[in-house]
Amino acid sequence: MGELFEKILVPVASREDAKATAAALAGYDAADIVTVHVIEKAGGAIDKAGVEQRELEAAEIFDVFEESLERSVETKITYGTDVAEAIFDVAHDVGASSIVITPRGGSRWIRLLTGDVALSLVTESDLPVVVLPDDGGAVEDGMSGEEPTDMEGVEDE
Amino acid sequence: MSSGDEELAKDLGPLAALTIGVGTMIGAGIFVLPGEAVAKAGSLAVAAFVVGGVIAMFTALSASELGTAMPKSGGAYFYVNHALGPLFGSVAGWANWLGLAFASAFYMVGFGQYIQRIIGVTGTIGSGLFSVQYVTLIALAGGAFFVGINYIGAKETGRLQNIIVIILVAILAVFTFVGALQADLSNLPANKGYTPMLATTGIIFVSYLGFVQITSVAEEIKNPGKNLPRAVIGSVALVTAIYALVLFVMSASLKSGFIEGIGENQIAVVQVADQLLGPLGAVAMLFGGLLATASSANASILASSRINFAMGRDKIVSPDLNEVHPRFSTPYKSIAITGGLILLFIAGGDVIGNVIEGSDPVILLSGAASYLHLVIYGLLNIALIVMRVADPDDYQPDFRVPLYPITPILGAILSFALIYYIDPPVIIFGSTIVGLAVLWYVFYARTRTTKQGILSQYILDRSEEMPDSAVSAAASVQPDGGEYKVMVPLANPEHETDLITLASAIAKQRGGSVEAVHIVTVPDQTALQYGADHVTDLDTESEALLDRARDDAKTFGVEVETSTIISHESFEEIFDTARTHEADLVVMGWGTDSHGSPGRAESAMDEVMEDVPCDFLVLRDRGFDPSKILLPTAGGPDSDLSAEIANLLATEYDSEIRLLHVGDTEAEAQSFLESWADEHDLDDVELIAATGDVEEAIEGAARDSTMVIIGATERGLLERLVSGSLVMDVADDVDCSVLLAEQARKRSIWQRLFG
Repeated sequence: MGELFEKILVPVASREDAKATAAALAGYDAADIVTVHVIEKAGGAIDKAGVEQRELEAAEIFDVFEESLERSVETKITYGTDVAEAIFDVAHDVGASSIVITPRGGSRWIRLLTGDVALSLVTESDLPVVVLPDDGGAVEDGMSGEEPTDMEGVEDE
Repeated sequence: MSSGDEELAKDLGPLAALTIGVGTMIGAGIFVLPGEAVAKAGSLAVAAFVVGGVIAMFTALSASELGTAMPKSGGAYFYVNHALGPLFGSVAGWANWLGLAFASAFYMVGFGQYIQRIIGVTGTIGSGLFSVQYVTLIALAGGAFFVGINYIGAKETGRLQNIIVIILVAILAVFTFVGALQADLSNLPANKGYTPMLATTGIIFVSYLGFVQITSVAEEIKNPGKNLPRAVIGSVALVTAIYALVLFVMSASLKSGFIEGIGENQIAVVQVADQLLGPLGAVAMLFGGLLATASSANASILASSRINFAMGRDKIVSPDLNEVHPRFSTPYKSIAITGGLILLFIAGGDVIGNVIEGSDPVILLSGAASYLHLVIYGLLNIALIVMRVADPDDYQPDFRVPLYPITPILGAILSFALIYYIDPPVIIFGSTIVGLAVLWYVFYARTRTTKQGILSQYILDRSEEMPDSAVSAAASVQPDGGEYKVMVPLANPEHETDLITLASAIAKQRGGSVEAVHIVTVPDQTALQYGADHVTDLDTESEALLDRARDDAKTFGVEVETSTIISHESFEEIFDTARTHEADLVVMGWGTDSHGSPGRAESAMDEVMEDVPCDFLVLRDRGFDPSKILLPTAGGPDSDLSAEIANLLATEYDSEIRLLHVGDTEAEAQSFLESWADEHDLDDVELIAATGDVEEAIEGAARDSTMVIIGATERGLLERLVSGSLVMDVADDVDCSVLLAEQARKRSIWQRLFG
């Protein structure tokens, strides 16, 4: 793994995602971790939620991530209409050696509605993208009211 | 986060900002209400819309200034809450939230009318009270659909807004142009007078709600200093012009009486277009009506979640509402609740339409939305005046209202005055909502929110110059935010350290703060102003004393604030200050040299007994040493407080606590103490069950104690205490410090406001 994990960029979308990703990262020895949350913009129209509201949420997500990881990391909030593209921009800005994600799962229907960021990350990246297996433990006690997570989600594609 | 990134968050250009306003407003005014307006106001229908536009414009100017000064999520609610404080903030927040829900319900009923016209069904399902109009069913389905879209957060809907608005303006431009060619002033219906005209303005004012939604997304607007005022003012000017032109064409291009003759299930603007432009015109109008009502509802639902967020951030409502959906990244809880309200209002409108003969659900919904928004607009103009008068350092608007203060004063008066012309039942209903919002603040938000308005800060900072009633009103509606505040009035420097230490220890345990107040007494014949000017001459120690207080409190890591008060009567002043500062506990010294002449000590204590604004601890100071605490008790509320204080001190200082009760028999006293200690979480304490003389028992037990804590009005001790003798005797005879606890006699909020 060596160089691949020298400086990793970890995109986190939600508290649940932060917890799962931190758990998945536990077995790997990353030297430098930068975590990023992308605030999706409508690009010239009213956003689905206020920017300030989502900045506060981002801070919560980072807290969950650092707590689960038991170390503090560099955090970044960025804005963009295309989440994957915004992540690539940050990856280049911070000089990341790879982008590390866990599959977020979700049914096809959900992915259709929300856009499949994981897929875009894997297919459009010019940096190595590491997809860590989700150990599943974190999902169960994650946010309530979620649909059962389809673990095979990404591999299906 | 770099500022470059922050700039990316602002992606609403001037056109997008303008179309939010226009898109929200145009749906209602043109596509739903013109028939009603012409029928009611006759030839003055045009004037009714123009009057509405003028009233909206005053507020638009104020909203622009406030928006450029504070480009924050939440818009109108935020400005009112910031300037006028959380009482008015509660009113504005609820009015804005519910007003948008009523408006959305109204747009959806309009949407239902268009769908109904397109698919050609009319009438009702069921019969009597259990009948439902098809329009209502369609409106409910439509409402659920748009709420669902916003719950999931499809970003495409937002982008459609620009296109929709451009299509609408184009359709209306063609309509106006063709209509104007055929216009003939002799077609204008009869002038029905000014009262019906103003009543019409009251109904159609719902057409002017959209501009304020621009301010609720102010933080997302590029270069808000320039673009926000342009969008807000521009959208009001643009829709006023469109409304006036369309109304003029509708009334003047067809022969008089055409609009009044349009059937119940027809839509005026569609029928007129059919006449002027043929079937294609009618289809274009039907299509336009669908887009317009849908975009209005969509924008309103989005805006309402911003207001919810801002209210939750200030803890006016539960911040739990602001939870962001883990997958959709939408404020799904607040959207779901708003959606539920919209559906409820649509159904409620239908039910009321059934129950009350002759009432029109459309008018009820639009009336409620108009009423609530007029309240906000009035408050918004007042908020602007407050910001200008108080002029806080961080108030730096890029746009300034012209002709201040005339513009906001007129804006406030006109907004409130227009309420008078709304349907009386709607006024009663709207006023009930405002009343409930006030109660909401008093019973829910007041203990949770911490934000203080600029207005009350301004008044309280000038409490000497302001009329007493204003000061006490401002003080009594202040939020207390649940933070525990310990106030320490200081008079004698000798006891400063002990009092501050005691106060800080309690504040630390409660996670609260300390407020040290130096009360400087000046002789009655000295003018207070003179005293204030010569405070250093009158008491050179003031500064030094408060400095020491600050240092002493800091050793506990407790936040401390200090102030100096000049007064003729130090004791009354303590009470007043405790009230204005919303203290939870006052810790004060009491001895021959504290707070007033020695002869006044007893009468002063009597006063403490009478009506205490908060919990009081009175320390007869003989050195602060809480290592061995004696707690004589006979039950009652005041000894609850002494138990609590003893507990707090024990946690801080690891004190040894002994309980003393004087009973008829030792067994009885023992069992009383056991259950009392248990009730008050006092475990690991020594119990002293005694019989005989209360005073002797206390004094005896006090001999090997370092501090005695007595509740002021113990049952059984009461009679003696009222005469002052027991307290005086115990306090004088024991060698250690005596702490007298007196619990607040809670006066109701009502009494504080009006008593």
